[in-house]
Amino acid sequence: MLLVLSEEHKEHLNFLNKVDAAVVGEFGRIALEFIMRGTSPKVYEGAARKLSVPVEVVRHGVEGLMYLMTQSSKHMVPCPLSHITLNVLAEQLNDWSVIKCLCQMYQQHRSEIRSILSLVSTSLPAYHNLEWRLDVQLASRSLRQQVAPTLATKLHLTHGRGSGTEQSCRVLHMDLGTLLHLISILEGALSTLKSTHARRILRNIK
Amino acid sequence: MAPPSLKMELSDSVQRGLRSLGDESVVDHATFPALVDVCFRSLLSAGRDAGLLEEPELKQVEGVLLKRIHAATTTFILEAVRQNADESTISSCLEDLSFSSERIEILYSCYQKHKKELERLLASIGKQPAHITDVSWRLQYHVKNGVVDKVNEPFYLISLNTENKGSPEDITFTCTMEQLQDMVGKLKDAAKSAEKASQM
Repeated sequence: MLLVLSEEHKEHLNFLNKVDAAVVGEFGRIALEFIMRGTSPKVYEGAARKLSVPVEVVRHGVEGLMYLMTQSSKHMVPCPLSHITLNVLAEQLNDWSVIKCLCQMYQQHRSEIRSILSLVSTSLPAYHNLEWRLDVQLASRSLRQQVAPTLATKLHLTHGRGSGTEQSCRVLHMDLGTLLHLISILEGALSTLKSTHARRILRNIK
Repeated sequence: MAPPSLKMELSDSVQRGLRSLGDESVVDHATFPALVDVCFRSLLSAGRDAGLLEEPELKQVEGVLLKRIHAATTTFILEAVRQNADESTISSCLEDLSFSSERIEILYSCYQKHKKELERLLASIGKQPAHITDVSWRLQYHVKNGVVDKVNEPFYLISLNTENKGSPEDITFTCTMEQLQDMVGKLKDAAKSAEKASQM
């Protein structure tokens, strides 16, 4: 996968050449921290004071790394410094030890970053749980003697992902004929996943 | 004291209407079975058959009286079905209203013939919670999205068709294969215990 960096992005990363390898390592750590827990402007201010550069420069440096890591994770780049990207990045970063250090950080945290990214994506309500109860209706105002078995179910769904997750539940009844119908239809759905057609598609889209 | 189902409580106007139905000078021999039949049919057609009382077979009975008899008879039938009245309850009630045994028999055989249908009709009246009528599903393969590439996970889109107070609503949600297995497993458990309960 070819990772193309914009001119602006390259310029932001360029700042990393002007500081020690240890500082780049620290920037990388901060970038990962921000991806996982959100940004905190105070950190930029402290770092800018220590390095005696404008806050904006520090912010661009860290955000440049954050963007590099999230984009690489998104596309599952084996290492952002591999293949063609290597040249792109080597143009930006002179120090090989710095490149290696960033690469290591990325590889360690790639799957974590991907799972965080997937929380951002849109999601439909998802199945969470199903509770059930067997009821028999014995009488009603309009008919005094009945024996009408029904299955009362409570369907729990989750909406959204990550911190915005909400749960909802619906109470739904069904008669026993419908229950058997539902089971057979959904069993058909399950067996479809094991069909040759589905397996072939799943194997080939990788 | 007799259990409540053995005694049919009918208002004065219903009793008067039924007396007229039983009275051979009001409803003659030929008209009686036709009139009883019309009463059952008008209940089962749920008001869609407005012209039933204008049938030529009922010409013999005067209009307003015919309506009174019809109202009384349908009320009696519904009350009998509601209480699941048996033959002896119905007979004794009609005997009290001076029905001949022949008329009781005609009415009772009609009652037996339509009882199941009427029960279904009465059972459908009243509040019914939201219920599932059908299900549809789709198997999808999540390949990528705006923020992550190469997701490559199969998942199901399940749509439960439900009906609430007569209006349809689809409840749609996603689930993984494991979640669908979980759901089907629970439904099977439910079906199994329903089967066990029915054998008790």
